[in-house]
Amino acid sequence: MIVNRIIPENLMRLLTRWSLGLVLVFAASPAFADLKVATSLTDLASVAQFVGGTHVEAQSLCRGYEDPHFVPAKPSLMKAIQKADVYVSTGLELDGGWLPVVLPGSRNPKIQQGQPGFVDASEGISVLEKPTGTVSRAEGDIHPLGNPHYYLDPKNLEIVADHLADVFSRLDPANAADYAANAKAFDERMETALAGWLKQMEPYAGKSIVTYHVNFIYFADRFGLKIFGHVEPKPGIPPSARHISELAEAMKQAGVTVVTYEPYYNADASKQLAAKADGTAIEIATEVDGLPEAKDVFAKFDLLVSSLVNALSK
Amino acid sequence: MRLRTLARVCIALSCMPGMAIAQTRSMYSNLANPSIGLNALFLGQAAPDLDQPYGLDFQSAELSLISVVDPYWMLDANITFTPDEVDPEEVWARTTSIPNISVKVGKLRATFGKQGTLHTHAFPFVQAPIIMPNSIGEEGFKDAGVEASWLMPVPWFMELTGGIYNAMEVNDENPLDFGSTDHDNIPFGGHFKNQLDIGEETTVDVGVSGLSGKGADGYRHTAYGADLTFRNVPARASNRHGWILEGEYIARGTSENGTFDRQQRGWFASFQYRFRQRWWGGIRGEQAKDCYTDVLVDPVSGDAISGDVNRASANVAWTPSEFSYVRLEYSYAQADDGNGFKPTDQRVLIQFNYTIGYHPAHAY
Repeated sequence: MIVNRIIPENLMRLLTRWSLGLVLVFAASPAFADLKVATSLTDLASVAQFVGGTHVEAQSLCRGYEDPHFVPAKPSLMKAIQKADVYVSTGLELDGGWLPVVLPGSRNPKIQQGQPGFVDASEGISVLEKPTGTVSRAEGDIHPLGNPHYYLDPKNLEIVADHLADVFSRLDPANAADYAANAKAFDERMETALAGWLKQMEPYAGKSIVTYHVNFIYFADRFGLKIFGHVEPKPGIPPSARHISELAEAMKQAGVTVVTYEPYYNADASKQLAAKADGTAIEIATEVDGLPEAKDVFAKFDLLVSSLVNALSK
Repeated sequence: MRLRTLARVCIALSCMPGMAIAQTRSMYSNLANPSIGLNALFLGQAAPDLDQPYGLDFQSAELSLISVVDPYWMLDANITFTPDEVDPEEVWARTTSIPNISVKVGKLRATFGKQGTLHTHAFPFVQAPIIMPNSIGEEGFKDAGVEASWLMPVPWFMELTGGIYNAMEVNDENPLDFGSTDHDNIPFGGHFKNQLDIGEETTVDVGVSGLSGKGADGYRHTAYGADLTFRNVPARASNRHGWILEGEYIARGTSENGTFDRQQRGWFASFQYRFRQRWWGGIRGEQAKDCYTDVLVDPVSGDAISGDVNRASANVAWTPSEFSYVRLEYSYAQADDGNGFKPTDQRVLIQFNYTIGYHPAHAY
């Protein structure tokens, strides 16, 4: 009664709701898992979940429709990995702009670089486009260790899966047999799926496309495509009107008609380029969850291959 | 005989580079060298109401070194070069092996508010808010000490930081008098921060801070503040759009005769908007009470005098990449010393910022 006199009724109602909400938040603790795994990329979380099965709870700090180069180093990301057992970095400095802030901020000793819980997923990958000679930012925002978008080759995800199975087995020996079996099943499923994707792409071997960013070389190499150019004149540099015009003219002369862009890149510039070149701009998911249908790594490649086949067949 | 000697000398000389390389590789490996970066700032100012020449000046250069020391520590150093001095403004080690807690030891920038934790090139506006050099220092409170921050066990980011610092007298960079040489003078401070995600793209950050110590005058000197920041980064355009709405209040004073006497105080609030990948714009309003600033100079004696100042600023920044920007800023200030002296000030500033080498993301 006294309280009601001091605190108005609507404020009391609000406080009650907030308190209830707070209780629910505390009660909604994550489901039990033997290993909590956090990753820099949705593709890595997807592979980790396949390999870990029911023993692992995997989450990615970067969302699939977010530019993996520019993830805001929010304190909530530090909080999200405070209790993680494993952190899987993309490596090759793709997450180098934000992970050095987020990882120490988590105050989680288990996942700091050099600790058993820190994984560089690029280990064992045959890295493409390693710069030779002097590395200079005059060439744009280049990656000195090579192209970090290796997750666009399905074969590379098999390497990641085997690597993660080893790590999970070391950290959780009780379930080692499951991790090994899951990785083997993943590799077999990927091999089968890859055979199908290669068959779908076969008629378009040698065809050229234009991508927004320099991130498609692994996919192109695997499926026999050629990269004609990029919407960005240099990595990380937004396109100028002159660059768009010159590239469109070159595309017309070479008969290149397909321009791809990710959900986090400037769709207008890509569409403008395609229109000038009498071609088609298609939005693609190069990362899991980049588009709603790309629910896991298999669905991502299903969607990617069908989108390209559809565009190249026109 | 001579030919044989010459041949021996030639063989010996031809072996030397190989030996030198072998020695260099084994003795002076650079594989574990720290990440190195250099930031340079150049500043031009045109202020017709000030008795200063117009022109472009070297503002500062900041050499940063960062590396893991061993499995337990990492070391971060920022050495600042200005036209007048070389200042090891931050050289601290931080623990990496304690769960939930991070301990920083060394010369550090105390965790106080938002503006007070920023390096000069990360200021949202070229000019620091007027209350800053009148309370904790234009670039925050920089002193030797120990800080521990605890990431608290709640579902959101809640951080409690506490620190103790070295007794430090008032100087050009530090307006807080913590200079008592008494044994019981251990300046201390704290910061309590909460950051929550409001949906997918917007965050709210609320903090309160305090610093206190005993001055050379024997009295306790204290600064306290509160900050509130809303920030939006669209997930599908994190490198092209976004906005930051923030405000901060800071006050400082002394405890004479057992009661706290608030002296300098002020607030500032700003809105920054990224309207294209390469373009940012911002506006800021601020009010400072009983503060000193270059606008308030006694017209007769030329001495600095205190008063109330209101200032509005607007700027636009061109950021061709993450490693450089050019900012143009305009500000208008009105001051009042309380005795009828009411100067105004208009100024235009241009700032050039360049970073080479390694530079991690700034604190969010």
